[in-house]
Amino acid sequence: MDEMAILIDVSKCTACRSCQVACKNWNQLKAEKTTNRGSHENPPDLSSSTWNRIRFHEAIKDGRIDLLFINERCRHCAEPPCVAAAEDVPGAIIKDPAGPVVITEKAKQLNAQDIRDACPFDIPRFDETGQIFKCTMCADRVLNGLKPACVQACSTGALSFGPKPAMLALAEKSMKALGESATLYPSEDYNVLWVLPEAPETYNLAKAPDMKGTHYAGRTRKSTGLLASLMDVFRSA
Amino acid sequence: MTNHWNDIANSDCVLVMGSNPAKNHPIGFKWVLKAMERGATLICVDPLITRTARKAHVYAPLRSGTDIAFLGGMIKHVIENKLYFEEYVREYTNASFLVSPDFKTPGDNNGVFSGLQGTQTEQGFVDGKYDKTTWSYQKDEKGVPKKDPTLQDPNCVFQLLKRHFSRYDLEMVSRITGTPKEKLLAVYQAYAKTGVPDKAGTVLYAMGWTQHTVGVQNIRAMSILQLLLGNMGMAGGGINAMRGESNVQGSTDHGLLFHIYPGYLKAVKASLPGFKDYLTANTPVFADPMSANWWQNYPKYAASFLREMYGPDVPLDQAYQYLPKIDDGVDYSWMTIFDQLYQGKLTGFFAWGQNPACSGPNANKTREGLKKLDWLVNVNIFDNETASFWQGPGMNPKEIKTEVFMLPCAASYEKEGSLSNSGRWMQWRYKASNPPGSALPDADIINALYAKVKKLYAKEKGPKADPIVNLSWNYGPKDDKGNVKHVDPHMVAKSINGYFLQDKVINGRLYSKGTLVPMFASLQDDGSTSSGNWLYCGSYTGSGNMSARRAKEDPSGLGLYPGWAWAWPVNRRIIYNRASVDKNGNPWAPAKAVITWRNGAWVGDVPDGPWPPLAAGAASRYPFIMQADGVGHIFGPGLNDGPFPEHYEPTESPLDKNPLSPQQVNPAVKRWDRVEATATMNACAISDTRFPIVCSTYRVTEHWQTGVMTRWQPWLVEMEPAMFVEMGEDLAALKQIKNGDVVTVKSIRGEVDAVAVVTARVQAFTINGKTVHQIGIPYHYGWVTSAERRYNVNDKKPELFTFGDSANLVTPNIGDANTMIPESKCFMVDVVRKG
Repeated sequence: MDEMAILIDVSKCTACRSCQVACKNWNQLKAEKTTNRGSHENPPDLSSSTWNRIRFHEAIKDGRIDLLFINERCRHCAEPPCVAAAEDVPGAIIKDPAGPVVITEKAKQLNAQDIRDACPFDIPRFDETGQIFKCTMCADRVLNGLKPACVQACSTGALSFGPKPAMLALAEKSMKALGESATLYPSEDYNVLWVLPEAPETYNLAKAPDMKGTHYAGRTRKSTGLLASLMDVFRSA
Repeated sequence: MTNHWNDIANSDCVLVMGSNPAKNHPIGFKWVLKAMERGATLICVDPLITRTARKAHVYAPLRSGTDIAFLGGMIKHVIENKLYFEEYVREYTNASFLVSPDFKTPGDNNGVFSGLQGTQTEQGFVDGKYDKTTWSYQKDEKGVPKKDPTLQDPNCVFQLLKRHFSRYDLEMVSRITGTPKEKLLAVYQAYAKTGVPDKAGTVLYAMGWTQHTVGVQNIRAMSILQLLLGNMGMAGGGINAMRGESNVQGSTDHGLLFHIYPGYLKAVKASLPGFKDYLTANTPVFADPMSANWWQNYPKYAASFLREMYGPDVPLDQAYQYLPKIDDGVDYSWMTIFDQLYQGKLTGFFAWGQNPACSGPNANKTREGLKKLDWLVNVNIFDNETASFWQGPGMNPKEIKTEVFMLPCAASYEKEGSLSNSGRWMQWRYKASNPPGSALPDADIINALYAKVKKLYAKEKGPKADPIVNLSWNYGPKDDKGNVKHVDPHMVAKSINGYFLQDKVINGRLYSKGTLVPMFASLQDDGSTSSGNWLYCGSYTGSGNMSARRAKEDPSGLGLYPGWAWAWPVNRRIIYNRASVDKNGNPWAPAKAVITWRNGAWVGDVPDGPWPPLAAGAASRYPFIMQADGVGHIFGPGLNDGPFPEHYEPTESPLDKNPLSPQQVNPAVKRWDRVEATATMNACAISDTRFPIVCSTYRVTEHWQTGVMTRWQPWLVEMEPAMFVEMGEDLAALKQIKNGDVVTVKSIRGEVDAVAVVTARVQAFTINGKTVHQIGIPYHYGWVTSAERRYNVNDKKPELFTFGDSANLVTPNIGDANTMIPESKCFMVDVVRKG
């Protein structure tokens, strides 16, 4: 299978949150008890049962209101620090060449907090059993030729899915339409990509870490035909 | 919609006003995004900075309830700068028609049109009714309206329009709406660009325009603009209401409202004793043979409807006598019903697929009223505030005698049938799963009820027996007692389409008895055909269930998809499309040609009338075939409150005086607040300093209507768990309210708690020199799914509780002068921090 990517064109998102619900629905994740804290953003954070949520960015700029809605979820790094941090338990966290970074049953053997701390984007969350959770890029769907549930549900075409080169080309096109300050986030070294109208700092998004000179750089992952079957084990747990 | 969803992508300019499609019609909004990808301009006019506003090229704020002032200014701008499409206006509208010289417009008549009878008060007329005699055309000896094609005669519609809207200058409009003048101009200039022949603009609206005492006139104002700019009948043009339920279009088509029967036939008035009287009263006659005057076919549709109801063996006049009668001049709409309920005049009530305790205005009045019923039947999927009214806040079940029945019904995916969307597309749906437990499709519940009622009437007789017992009721296979065993949606759909009840030869072709009628042009006035709804004739024919088709070909490239499902009428996708061509049949916009006359025939969409183009002379017809005079109505004499829109303040207004005229409120509105006996329950805050803030109601993506379905769905409640109020930072500071505080929103009628969402998206207005704050609340919440309510042993609890009760606890029961839709978009409140 080709290397795939999700592209999130933030300028097209209207915060319908179909993607947030589609993720809950496909993965059968429990709804969290929430309150309205003066915001439409809910749940207030990722959790073991919330793997994709929309952040509401609202700011006044040059007397104009800037409203932007941003998917918060795993970036599916090309070189995932969580994979490196989990290397003592082989098969606990797997990067598939098709793109998805997936956590398996074996992750219970890891120190969940360490794994969370390893992530520059603070994505992984864990529950009381010590199992770690995050967006799986719908590996079970993707490896069976389907789009991720969020992409399938998106009403405006803000979410796209396809071979990575095609997604990069689409990103290029979107950035051109948005103008000079548009950025690709976090960078090309990820399998979930955002097109942002401006720099990530404007939206309180953690910047991509510089991978050069770290022991992550230069590592390659072998294709794991085991991934699909491990996913099954994980999902039935 | 005169057009349809996909067609929005063809537009050059999309005006969003009275709606927020990015939030509330997210799937539909993708067509707006597609239009923008193709270079369309998006304009958004809204009191708040919405998600749609955020995408717009041009955004202008306006105070809720001032859309006519805003649009009136645009009409003035278009006329004075000659931005209208002159040939279109002259040939396809009544702009050139001469009106009676006795007709007076509000500028010359103290803020009202000529012919008003009402009670004079300090704030103008109230309890008014118009004698419309002066709202008429001057006619020649043949009875055809006199015209001035130069559009100069001071009595011609065009000059009257110009004169009427000359008062809507930028200064006045800005005073009323609170919109800065430069923003008014920005909107006017952008939209008026569609006045050239080959450009089309569309308008997307919803409850933000309809839920006002001037709701219909809001839409009239836009209709006038669309006619001036030549946008009707065009691809990417039209008047496009975004309906708020998946089948509300179907429900109005099939006559769910009291004043109409299926196909928009008129309900029967008691003053019309016989079928012939009814037909005479409702069949328009027009002297100009060039007008198709399509409603002249009324007798065919009415006769066919009677046949569907009662079959071929009951004479037409007898069948007519069976129909229930409404008394002349009496209103039977929602607010009247609930007023009757409140006064204890109703014995029983079916709340069928609805939640009036939360959905109707002035919820306290409704909830009090329900206590007075002997019995209540709620047909619904989930428990709700109506079914459980007797255990709501402030209710003592021991004191309530109402016997309440809850009949569980199937959800939409648990039964087969069709839905009609905003674009008039009838789309068939298959059953996906079985309803749970003993839940049944609504049709089967009605069928079971009917069988019992029929049996009782057959036994006990009485004056209402025959109309019930003699219904043909061909909605499913019958048992040996003649009762339908189970409803077959296909049989219902075929009954709606209609049958030949006897052999009939039409244009040399024989249609044998029992054949499905292929199109409404074949329906007969002599009782030889049946049709439950003439508009849907052609939807289920000998060729099959047209609404189940799913062909993806789109030969025109305009998104017409002629083989996907079926649109009424006769699968025409863009109505009034003969206005999209010139008199030779050449499209004004060749790149987006809806229809074209080529080699003696029309190609493209189904033409809105098969006649050749106007250059063919007597063989042709004017394009607006559903109007008796065949033209688009700039002057619209058929409404209760005026042939032109006029700005009036909402009933509850922040202003003591209408800046435009001495007439404060629409004079033709029914004022329950002036009925002494019930004045307290129906109170309106008129110039009441206790309630200085303008409040509007709206919606979120995650919840639907009163939340009857969505408040039980944890993934939705997780995202929007609580009743909230959006307010601006300045108002919050004034009231010492912080973001996230629980506050109480109060009106003169009631109050509701809400979480304050303090945001820069909500900004104050300067109205007539005064600072006016506006806030907004969603109406999705109700006490049934809250944690604080009393739960009895068997009461179902939601997986996640919600916070808050209904926005309708504060809304006024005052409605539009024509439709009685409540004025939920602008009423006066106060907000105070709780505790």
